[in-house]
Amino acid sequence: MEKKRSLTIGQKQKIAGWLFLIIATVMIFVFSFWPMVSALTTSFKTGSAANMKWCSPLTFNYTRMVKDKIFKTSLSNTFLYLIIQVPIMLIVAIFLAQLLNNRDLKFKGLFRTCVFLPCSISLVSYSLIFKSLFATQGLINSLLMKAHLISENINWLGTTGTARFVIILGLLWRWTGYNMVFYLAGLQNIEYSVYEAAKIDGANGWKTFWYVTVPLLRPVIIMTFIMSINGTLQLFDESVNLTNGGPAGTTITMSHHIYNNAFGTGVANFGYASAMSFVVFVMVAILALINLKVGDTRD
Amino acid sequence: MKRKMLSLILAVSVSALALSACGGTGAAESAAPAADAGTEAAPAEEAPAEEAPAEEAAEAPAADVAAEGEHELSVYAWDANFNIPALKAAEKAYQKVDPDFTLNIIEQSGSSDVEQAVTLAASSGDYSALPDIVLFQDHWIQKFHADYPDAWQPLEGDFKWDDFGAEKLSYSTIDGKHYGAPVDNGTAIFAYRTDILEQAGYTLDDVTGISWDEWLEIARNIKDKTGMALLSMDHSGDDLPYMMLQAEGQSQWKDNTTPNIKGNETFKKVFEVIVQGAKDGTIILANDWSEYTDQTIMGDQVAGVMNGNWIIPTIEQVEANSGKWALTTIPTLDGGKEGYAANGGSSLYVTANCQKPDLACAFLAYTFGGGEGAMDTYDAALKDGGVITTCISAGKSSVYQEGVDFFDGQAIYADIVEMGSHVPVIQQSDYHYNLRTLVGNAITNVVNGADVDSEIDGIQEQIEFEIAGSQN
Repeated sequence: MEKKRSLTIGQKQKIAGWLFLIIATVMIFVFSFWPMVSALTTSFKTGSAANMKWCSPLTFNYTRMVKDKIFKTSLSNTFLYLIIQVPIMLIVAIFLAQLLNNRDLKFKGLFRTCVFLPCSISLVSYSLIFKSLFATQGLINSLLMKAHLISENINWLGTTGTARFVIILGLLWRWTGYNMVFYLAGLQNIEYSVYEAAKIDGANGWKTFWYVTVPLLRPVIIMTFIMSINGTLQLFDESVNLTNGGPAGTTITMSHHIYNNAFGTGVANFGYASAMSFVVFVMVAILALINLKVGDTRD
Repeated sequence: MKRKMLSLILAVSVSALALSACGGTGAAESAAPAADAGTEAAPAEEAPAEEAPAEEAAEAPAADVAAEGEHELSVYAWDANFNIPALKAAEKAYQKVDPDFTLNIIEQSGSSDVEQAVTLAASSGDYSALPDIVLFQDHWIQKFHADYPDAWQPLEGDFKWDDFGAEKLSYSTIDGKHYGAPVDNGTAIFAYRTDILEQAGYTLDDVTGISWDEWLEIARNIKDKTGMALLSMDHSGDDLPYMMLQAEGQSQWKDNTTPNIKGNETFKKVFEVIVQGAKDGTIILANDWSEYTDQTIMGDQVAGVMNGNWIIPTIEQVEANSGKWALTTIPTLDGGKEGYAANGGSSLYVTANCQKPDLACAFLAYTFGGGEGAMDTYDAALKDGGVITTCISAGKSSVYQEGVDFFDGQAIYADIVEMGSHVPVIQQSDYHYNLRTLVGNAITNVVNGADVDSEIDGIQEQIEFEIAGSQN
C-alpha cells in the first residue's frame, strides 16, 4: 500500500503505457517471431509432421536443395517472372502515372479508378478468371478464331511458353495500377514550379521526365522495386490457381513448390519446406539490400 | 459498439466513394480518389476482424465427441449428393437394432478438408478435435497409419470381410488388421458411345477384351470418321498410367518406398500408349479437372471415358446422350483378356478420439461391413446418392439388378460390383501422389518431343530423391 501511493503520475502513466504495449508485443512474439524461430529449427529436421527428428548431417535439407531439379525449375521460373514482369510493370506504371497526373486531363478520377480497380480483386478470383479466359475453349481463343487470327485453338495453359506468358500478363494486369498509385502520389509531391523552371531552361518533355521527374521519384521507385521483388519471389496464387504449376511443372514458383512439400498431395516434408522458405527469405533480403545500395542517393 | 457503427459507416462510404469516383467529375484535386479509399478502408477492415472469432465458432463445423450421448456417433463426410446420403441410410438401418442411435454427420467441403483435419489433429498430437469416425480417400490410409499409428482403432466385430472386393480392402488392411469400413467402389469402367462406334463400323464387342494397340487403331479410325477422340483424362492428376498398369496386374511400386519405374517394360509400354494416343489426338490430356469433365466429357469431345465409376454422374449430365452409352472393361497390353482396375474410393475409419469403439464397430459391421443391415444401407445409398458398393452379396439385390436407361437398359451397377471382384491387388505406396505428378509431367515432356527412356529414368531419379528427402 505504502509503495503504491508513492507512484507519481508520470510513473503511473508509464506503467499504463507499458501495459498497453505489452499485449501487442507478446502477441507479435507469440504469433510472429516464435513461429519464425520454430520454422528455423524445423528446417533442420526431417520426417513427417508427427515424428520429426534432427537431420544428420544437420544441413541435410539445405544441401538437398542443390540437387532438387524441381526447386531449380521453380527458382528459374520465379526469376524469369521477376526479370520480365517487374521492369515492364514499373515502366508502364510510371507512364500511366505521368499521363494521369496531367493537369488538363478530363475525367481524371474515372481513369485513375479504372487503372487501380484490378487491385481490388482477390488474387484467387482473378487467377480463375484468367484461367477460364485462356482455356482451350475459352473466350480468348473464340475471339481469335472469330477474327481469323488463328486457325485452331491454342492450348494456352498447356504449353510452357504461352502458360508463362499468361501468368506474366495476369501479373501485369493485377499489379500495374497498384504501383501507379505510388508514382502518382510521388508525382504530386513534386512542385509544379520545378517543371516550369525546366520548361524555361528549354527542356523538352522527355528531358523533363528523365532529368527532373525520375530523380525526384527515386525514393518511390526504389520502394516499388523492393515491394515488387518481394512480391514476385513469393508468387503463389497465380502458379497454383492459373496453371497449377503445369504443364509438366514448368511454371511452378518457389512458394508453390514449398507449399507442395508441406501441404500438397504428396508426403508432407515440413523440414524441407521450411528450409526452402528460409532460402527465399535470404534471397529477398539480399535483393532488397542490393536495391537499397544501388538506389542510395547519399554519395 | 459506437466504433463498430463507425467502421460500418466508413465501409459503406468507401464503396460509395469508389462508385462515385467511377463517374468522376474530373475535379483537379491533388489527392487521388483511389488513395483516399485506401486510407479510409483501413479502419473499416477492423470491424470483421473483431467479430471473426464468434462467427467462426458458429460456422466451422467441428466435432465435440466428449459431449455426445451414449448412442451417438459423429462422422466427417463431404458430399451431400454422394456419401452423406449413404451415411444417412446407414443411420436409418442401424436404428432397427438401436432405436436411440443417432449419427451426427458433419459436412466438410471436400475430402481434402477431412484429410487436412486429420493431419492437423495428428501432427499437433491432440485428437480431441476429431469426430468418432472419418471418411477419406483410400490412398491416404497407409500414409496416415505410418505417420500417426496411434490415431486409428482397428475394426473388430461381425464384419464379413470375405464379402468384399479384395482390392478395396487391400488399402485399409495393415499388418492383418482392418482399419477401414468400405463405403463406395472405385472400380474402373470404360464407357463408350455406341452410336459413335457404329458410325465408324464398330460395336461394343469390338472394343471389349482388346489390346491397347488395337484400341489405338480403332481410335484413329473413329477420329478420322467422326472427328471425336476416344478417351480423355485430367492430366493435372493423371490416373491413366496407374489404372492401365493395374489392369496388367502390375504396380508402379516394388514396395512402399521402392519405385518400379526404371527398367519396367510394362510401365514403358503403358507410357508409350498414352503418348501415342496424345500424339494421334485420340487421347485428350486436359489441363485440369473442369476442362476434363466440362469440355471433353460433357462437351461431347470424346466417345469414350475411362475412370473410376464415380465418373458416371458426370457422363449422365448430358441428357441428350441418354441411351447411347454402354459400359465395358478396359483394354490390356496383350489383349485377349479383359482388364480390371480401380481408381479412387473412400472408407470409414475410426479415430483414436472415439470413446465408444464397440458402438462404432457394431454400427459399421451391421451396415457398411456386410452385416444384416448391409442390404438396406447399400440399396438406399445407391438410390439416394449413387454410391456403389464393393460388397459382393449386396450387389445381388434387386436394386442393383435394375437396368439403367441412360446406359440403354444395361444393369451397370451389378456389372460394376462384378468387375470390382476381379480387380487385382497391387502394391500401394505413401508416395502415390508424388509419383503420379512426376509421371504426368514426363508424359507431357515426351509428347512435346523428349526422349522416352531418359524421361522414365528421370521419374525414377526424382521419386527416389523425394523419398530419400523425407526418409533421412
